[in-house]
Amino acid sequence: MTNSVNRIVIVGGGTAGWLSAAIIAAEHYMADAPASDKHRFQLYLVESPDIPTVGVGEGTWPSMRSTLQKIGVSETDFIRQCSASFKQGTEFHNWTKGGDDTYTHPFTVPHKYSETNLAPHWQTVRDQVKFADAVCPQSRLFNNKLAPKNIATPEYAFNVNYGYHLDAGKFADFLRKHSVENLGVVHISANMTAINCADNGDIQSITTDSHGDIEGDLFIDCSGSQSLLLGKHYGIPLVSKKQYLYNDSALAVQVPYQNTEDPIQSCTLSIAQSAGWIWDIGLPTRRGIGHVYSSAHNTEDRATAELLDYIVATAGDQAAADACVRKITFEPGHREKFWHRNCVAIGMASGFIEPLEASALVLVELSAAMIADQLPANRQMMDIVAKRFNSKFLYRWDRIVDFLKLHYVLTQRQDSQYWIDNCHANGIPDSLQELLSIWQYQSPWHRDTHQIDELFPSASFQYVLYGMDFTTQTDTAQRRTDREAAKIAMTLFRENAQRTEQLINSLPTNRELINKIYKYGFQKI
Amino acid sequence: MSNYVILSPATHKNLKVITGHGEAYGDKVRYAVTYPLEFRNIQSCYPIFFSKSSETGEFFPIALMGFEDGENLFLSDSGWDAAYIPMMMERQPFLIGYQASSDDQQDKKPVVSIDMDSPKLSEDEGQPLFDENDLPTDFLKSMMAKLEALYQGHEHNKGFISALTEIGLLEPFTLEITLDNGSNNQLLGFYTINEQKLLELDGETLAGLNSKGYLQPIYMAVASYARIRALIDKKNASLL
Repeated sequence: MTNSVNRIVIVGGGTAGWLSAAIIAAEHYMADAPASDKHRFQLYLVESPDIPTVGVGEGTWPSMRSTLQKIGVSETDFIRQCSASFKQGTEFHNWTKGGDDTYTHPFTVPHKYSETNLAPHWQTVRDQVKFADAVCPQSRLFNNKLAPKNIATPEYAFNVNYGYHLDAGKFADFLRKHSVENLGVVHISANMTAINCADNGDIQSITTDSHGDIEGDLFIDCSGSQSLLLGKHYGIPLVSKKQYLYNDSALAVQVPYQNTEDPIQSCTLSIAQSAGWIWDIGLPTRRGIGHVYSSAHNTEDRATAELLDYIVATAGDQAAADACVRKITFEPGHREKFWHRNCVAIGMASGFIEPLEASALVLVELSAAMIADQLPANRQMMDIVAKRFNSKFLYRWDRIVDFLKLHYVLTQRQDSQYWIDNCHANGIPDSLQELLSIWQYQSPWHRDTHQIDELFPSASFQYVLYGMDFTTQTDTAQRRTDREAAKIAMTLFRENAQRTEQLINSLPTNRELINKIYKYGFQKI
Repeated sequence: MSNYVILSPATHKNLKVITGHGEAYGDKVRYAVTYPLEFRNIQSCYPIFFSKSSETGEFFPIALMGFEDGENLFLSDSGWDAAYIPMMMERQPFLIGYQASSDDQQDKKPVVSIDMDSPKLSEDEGQPLFDENDLPTDFLKSMMAKLEALYQGHEHNKGFISALTEIGLLEPFTLEITLDNGSNNQLLGFYTINEQKLLELDGETLAGLNSKGYLQPIYMAVASYARIRALIDKKNASLL
């Protein structure tokens, strides 16, 4: 075994495997490195031809734009080949009161957020305008199903911030093709039959049914919820988060549009149900709809009935009759650590939690980017990098749990045990409880950000808190500077209203823009 | 607004077209769309830039005539003061359109249309379009030749633009101009040839561009930037 780390073996395809392969290879692959160079970077991806991918991760964060750019693919190719459309945030229905209530979590931070905290000033006008509408143009764009940019906007640039909705299966194919053709990734289609250890306990190689032994210096476990390397081989246990987040089952279905030119949503829709919520994601070609729920609070039959009711209401009887529902069960949680010896897990192999804020793909991006950035020079360095990696991602998982739970604890719903249970104090992490206490007196802002690469910016907390009717007791006469600040805030509210109107008048609909991308494509500049 | 109809002796027998240029004839525009086959003539008078269509995002070359919307610094009381007038302005009020004989995109027949809302149309002054035998006059024939050249030029331009974008030879461009009256002006939203990148192109790429007739217009565009100074001088003169 060589001491340097330059042979990487990814076990498992799917989005996690191929996205990781592309991110790491884009950083390290040298097309002109001679084959004789024993320190030459090599990346192998071993994918079973027999195991289907889960393929329900269909929503990304805006981070995916820079990830795709770094990987070196054109946005036009990506949108055309992955049936992608634009996602500008999430719109939540019935989460607060259980009927006719709506709020949004847009991807754009409040106007002039780096300079002014508009949240306390919004308190004085909260009866007249929704928080998100007052501080950001984006939620008004959702109503009109508008795109975040024009056909003349260069690729990856925007008028308002955006991520994507995509077809996960097509995305994996797209990344595979690019990784193999342009980034030197070696694709091995074979089943893993054994894991072979070195004396020190590291994984030395894996044995496959059709390609013999594959040796590596670093093994990346992208085997999905089976977690074959980290979980099964090394026995790193799953830390359940079910005491905080109850959802453990999902029913997923693909629904066609009634007409091929029907509008495409600009955001993910999240519609609260009796014991969970329904996602509704609009791709150019179809919608992806699913019901994620708590099996302790709901039966599969009733969850299916709620899902079909929704499909009938939004796509008609025929779509509901044709629906081919796929069930996925999962234990919400993450592995006790993610990097052990020379093995690191990414994607569902490292953990999974309900897709409420589409955190699955962004964790893949961040994990692979950190590996690419800090790829240990040798085996000795690996333990240090592993330690850093573990502490960083344990912190991130805790923040995800806090942020997802926030969506539940603010509910006023009492109409089912699920919503009542969600507000129990012993189901709320201490860290979140502390935040909720302080937010009663001061609104979230930059002071709540502990790390520079925090997963959820304080603005995200603002959107959920004030979207769900939370009240922060801000005495606006409390500070000497406040009167001046109030004047500035009113100007910013006005500017935002003007910008909103201007965007509504100038942006095309998602459907119009997607059609133009198919026809003309984006320019690079 | 324009109102183009297909030209025919039956309907347009008595129509005349005024050939002069001026504000009244719709010439007060900031730029004219151009194409590489006329770059040699354009660069002798106007800077050549590239603009992006808001409808399709595609690039097209333009001859710049002013610094703000509706400003054509070449127009004077006596007409258009330049040795060469861009073909897209010369062809007014005609347009070459395409009639598809079937759904087949390849099988398109060029037809001449005329803008019935153009201020250049008249019943009493200007050049007649058809003679007593309903045949095109020499004037119309010369216009049709220009339209034909335009059509060829635009077809050639499509390949030219895709070559430029493929190689990445275009770059965004901002020009800061301080006028004699002390005002600062910015020329924004146009694209130019990236000269550094052009200098670094390898022989094979250059030969490829040359074989399609794209290399000469690229250098014509680069040479045209010398016309910016002249345009600024015109602007300063207009402020006096």
